[in-house]
Amino acid sequence: MAEGMRPSSQPSGPGPEAARPVVSGRALSLVYPGDGRSSPVVALKDVSLDVLPGSFVSLIGPSGCGKSTLLRIIADLLAATSGTVTVDGRSPAAARLDRQIGFVFQEPALLEWRRVLANVGLPLELRGASRAERDERASALLALVGLKGFEKSWPRELSGGMRQRAAIARALSSEPRVLLMDEPFGALDQITRDRLNMELVRIHEATRVTVIFVTHSIREAVLLSDRVVVMTPRPGQISRIINVPLARPRSLSTRADPEFQRLVNEGSLELERGYADAAN
Amino acid sequence: MPRTSPSLAAYSRSLWHVAWPPLVAFVLTVLVWQVAVEGFGIPVYVFPSPLRIWTSFWADPTGLLFHASITLYEAVAGFIIGSTFGAVLGTTFAYSSLMARGLLPYMIAANTIPTVAIAPIIIIWFGSGLESKIAVTAFLSFFPLALNMMKGLQSYDRTIMDVFHVSAATGVQKFLKMRLPSALPYVFVGLKINVTFAVIGAIVAEFIQADRGLGFVIMTTYRTLAMPRLWAAMIVSALIGILFFAAVALIERVAIPWHASMREQV
Repeated sequence: MAEGMRPSSQPSGPGPEAARPVVSGRALSLVYPGDGRSSPVVALKDVSLDVLPGSFVSLIGPSGCGKSTLLRIIADLLAATSGTVTVDGRSPAAARLDRQIGFVFQEPALLEWRRVLANVGLPLELRGASRAERDERASALLALVGLKGFEKSWPRELSGGMRQRAAIARALSSEPRVLLMDEPFGALDQITRDRLNMELVRIHEATRVTVIFVTHSIREAVLLSDRVVVMTPRPGQISRIINVPLARPRSLSTRADPEFQRLVNEGSLELERGYADAAN
Repeated sequence: MPRTSPSLAAYSRSLWHVAWPPLVAFVLTVLVWQVAVEGFGIPVYVFPSPLRIWTSFWADPTGLLFHASITLYEAVAGFIIGSTFGAVLGTTFAYSSLMARGLLPYMIAANTIPTVAIAPIIIIWFGSGLESKIAVTAFLSFFPLALNMMKGLQSYDRTIMDVFHVSAATGVQKFLKMRLPSALPYVFVGLKINVTFAVIGAIVAEFIQADRGLGFVIMTTYRTLAMPRLWAAMIVSALIGILFFAAVALIERVAIPWHASMREQV
């Protein structure tokens, strides 16, 4: 799929300092207005973040820290109360309408009335692509995510992990500039989760798509990311950004690297601090 | 696990497995019925024996089948017209909560009107031909689909809606490729209710005023106390209801093979 991902405009790896960020947020805040009974909730306060082309960034923090909210603002599923965000230099709405955003949700959200191939080809179908083009790309993507041979299966015939692989293939099918993933492996068992983490490493290497990945697991975040953005709740803010200079390609044995352990500890301490502050 | 189509032998074995208990029950019931009616000397107008019902049917089978075809025609035509209107109104309600809030109470009220009370009025409006029976049937089979259509269109998965939103789907695409397929299981619930209502509607309308159809046969045989013929007409009306229902169930299997309620039957 690499040739399809516009290599000319997308340098491999975390780009040079001059590279324009794919996603750029400035002073983003989101307040849910309270009604008569409840007071307003500040879900996100003054968050600024740049994500460089081809990089893998994780958002981590306790529930209510606004990490999913931030992801949904970038995808134009929510509107920020104040601040600006650009995706590929445009508003999220413009980028969405140009099919530059791929989104993988916690649930696979496959259409149970369509076979796997037609599910993966859905974004292309919505764009008006021909049947032949859809099937060809969807088949290639299914092979990429390790689902070759399941084109004609119904979603209900797949395991949880396989459904989530299909959802990733679907999100990649419109060749988005950025892939947003909202705890995509949160509902899976640990072994499946480890395997899919490695699949994701491989998919990221192969496509060089920019990924923003929301997770609860600091180990998962460090294993996958170039940068880990640690957030704190009430109000949702960025408390620290940890750079992860571990060598690529990563593998499960990366977890044995002392540097990996050090980064996980650093991240855990930062998360602990967030919980403690929130409790006070 | 890809599903393999079972062999014909296996299929007929499973069919037999399903069919033999009701078949045995049927044969036993008919035998007991026949022997009891004859043995206790029950008058034929109270309880005709199966043999007498069969004889009265066989005396003029084409006549009864002609009347059955009239009733079936009225039921199917009214079902299609009523269901179409119901689908359109249900869709309107699903997309406009203002329309739903404004009109739904009156729809529910109209739906509680007994068929026998509204049928004479509709017959005055639409005349004494088949049209008036179709209109009564359409009136009856309107509401169940409207309500189920509305519920079905509102019951889509919110995350799947987000998927369509992120993929820049148009409103028409969201309707055709997501909300309508999600609604189909509900739609078929409504259609199956309508099948039963449609046959009832056609026969009740024929009771009021008709010169053909099973309702007409039932009314005239009742007046002359030709009870075996009346029983035969009743059984035929049940059979066309079953036939109609089976046709809709078959369409359901073809239209939504993915649906959960279909899986258990495989």
